[in-house]
Amino acid sequence: MTATLTGDEFTVALFYCQNTPGSGEHERRSLEKRFRASLRLYPLPCGGRLEPRHLLRALEEFADAAFVLTCPAGECRYFEGNLRTEKRVQHVRNIIESIGLKPERVGSVMNSKEDPKPLVVIAQGIMAEIARLGHSPVLHPRPPWTDTKEKGEMPCDYR
Amino acid sequence: MGELAVTAECGPPKGADPDAILRKADLLSGKVDAINVTDNQTATVRMSSLAACSLLLSRGLDPVLQAVVRDRNRIALQSDILGASALGIRNILCLSGDHQSFGNQPHAMGVFDLDSIQLVQTIKTMRDQGTVLGGESLTKSPRLFIGAAANPFADPLELRVIRLAKKIRAGADFIQTQCVYNLKRFKEWMSLITDRGLPEKTNILAGVTPLKSSGMAHYMRNRVSGIDIPDEVIKRMEGVNKTRQRKEGIQICVETIQGLREMQGIKGFHIMAIEWEEAVGEIVERAGLLPRPSLNQDRGQFFYVV
Amino acid sequence: MITAEQKPIEEIRRMIEPYTSVLLIGCGSCVAECAAGGEKETAILASALRMAAKMEGKTPVIHEKTVERQCVKDFILPLAESIDDYEVVLSLGCGAGVQAVAELFPQIPIVPALNTGFIGETRDQGYWVETCTGCGDCMLYWFGGVCPLTRCAKQLLNGPCGGSRDGKCEVNPEVPCAWQLIFERLSAFNALDRLEDIYPPKDWSQKQGLGPRKIIREDQQRQET
Repeated sequence: MTATLTGDEFTVALFYCQNTPGSGEHERRSLEKRFRASLRLYPLPCGGRLEPRHLLRALEEFADAAFVLTCPAGECRYFEGNLRTEKRVQHVRNIIESIGLKPERVGSVMNSKEDPKPLVVIAQGIMAEIARLGHSPVLHPRPPWTDTKEKGEMPCDYR
Repeated sequence: MGELAVTAECGPPKGADPDAILRKADLLSGKVDAINVTDNQTATVRMSSLAACSLLLSRGLDPVLQAVVRDRNRIALQSDILGASALGIRNILCLSGDHQSFGNQPHAMGVFDLDSIQLVQTIKTMRDQGTVLGGESLTKSPRLFIGAAANPFADPLELRVIRLAKKIRAGADFIQTQCVYNLKRFKEWMSLITDRGLPEKTNILAGVTPLKSSGMAHYMRNRVSGIDIPDEVIKRMEGVNKTRQRKEGIQICVETIQGLREMQGIKGFHIMAIEWEEAVGEIVERAGLLPRPSLNQDRGQFFYVV
Repeated sequence: MITAEQKPIEEIRRMIEPYTSVLLIGCGSCVAECAAGGEKETAILASALRMAAKMEGKTPVIHEKTVERQCVKDFILPLAESIDDYEVVLSLGCGAGVQAVAELFPQIPIVPALNTGFIGETRDQGYWVETCTGCGDCMLYWFGGVCPLTRCAKQLLNGPCGGSRDGKCEVNPEVPCAWQLIFERLSAFNALDRLEDIYPPKDWSQKQGLGPRKIIREDQQRQET
């Protein structure tokens, strides 16, 4: 089942560790072709290189959601990169929550140790999740007579 | 001189009613030589110790003004010392004070301009040299018997001994200790300070507090610093019926006093029965400490006894 | 270093609410070290403020700049080029940084984004503790390198008080009793005799001074040619 997009596509920024299986040039190009503008991919030498401001810039400028994919627990080439990422993502979630955005718009995914998935599978999973969240009110501000804060509300409907 | 001294403690009210403190004082009258009046204990606003002491004086009692360094700077402290002496208060106990965060004014600034040892030294200088800090002369020196507190049960032990030596050198005429339940450990402390020749340089009054209930025993052991209650004591309190626990608490207190009497260097007892002043009379009687010597109007009872 | 923490964003937004153009100024020194107001934190705050404004359909101009050290006049002078383009400055400096900018550019309102805390050290990553109160008369020799003014809750110079339990302060059981530390430190050097003397009352005039304190060094001053 393909994610049903209603014409206004959701955009996800996905930062990922280059050590993720199936994340080479070829696979990335094919993913970009498939999702076009909806998925923007950013390879990193390690998930731990991700900084909070990267996630925030993405949300500010084009993304309905920003995620980071790291290697499984205990498998980080730089030992604690993936653990630091988790903490940083939590920090960003707190920040966006404080301005009224759903914290779920930012997340980190630690790949499975027993059954590591390739990039394409993780990307698809995230895209499906984001469809539930709906558009970010940063990129699609609501009409002034509605409540601008979205925390605790149902996904928005702009019609 | 040569008799064992007995002091007790009472706390001023959380209000402006003079009768509240006078009632407590009446319960202690004739049972003790002097009565400590606490100074905003637990950093909770109460009638000032100085005012309460003055009320006790009006009843012919001998108060011990407790002064903490938490609330007043050196100007106010020295000023209160002159005022206390002018009113006829003859005894003062210098303390650090419970931290302001514990009481009902946690946003208050903790002053701590002087510490308790510097305060002892300051009062001694005012009394014996007739000057304030900085050297300026007083028109009339205060007359005060200076005291400090000691905690034989806190750690580290070696540092406590050093601190006691400092207090005595600073001018402490008398020392009141934290309440004793563990006689063995108290003996250890006594032996260490005796090695340094400290007991003969001052007057040590061992503190005792009667337990009201097994709950109180547990609370004090777990929540109050510097209190060492041995298991045997806890078991004794738990071993009796709730209705008989007060009696048992008093009994333990009396036995503690009797155990302490045996020790060299102890010049008296400080009975802290907060909010249970009635118990003091019974304790003092059963411990064979009555009658108290009659009041010496000139020097104050307490000063005279030790 | 001087530590600080960011104010809650609601408070910051309330203060900059009336303005349509804001310049955030970060600082690369102390507040960068404690991750409150450095270049990264400034970028993060600017982004969050822009997003919050967008969500309300507002479009204030929100820009950011970080200087090496906000409390040094020479380092903030270059801001003169662009500061007048903005209605308000949101400073992520410590109190000294905020006031230095205010002093140099009195024509523009300035809002502090941080609550300045204490003089302290980075004891470990993400962990800062207060160690110095700036008393102006350092006594660390007498106390084995542990300051009783800062680290004893009652500022005792002839401590400890009767409240310490298991070597911890009665006020906060997570904090070691400073006097326990002083005792251990001096014992290790066999210098316990330093505690035998009564340390005299502190001269607080070195700290309180006659108003805000200052230091003047003629050998450091600019020379008129």
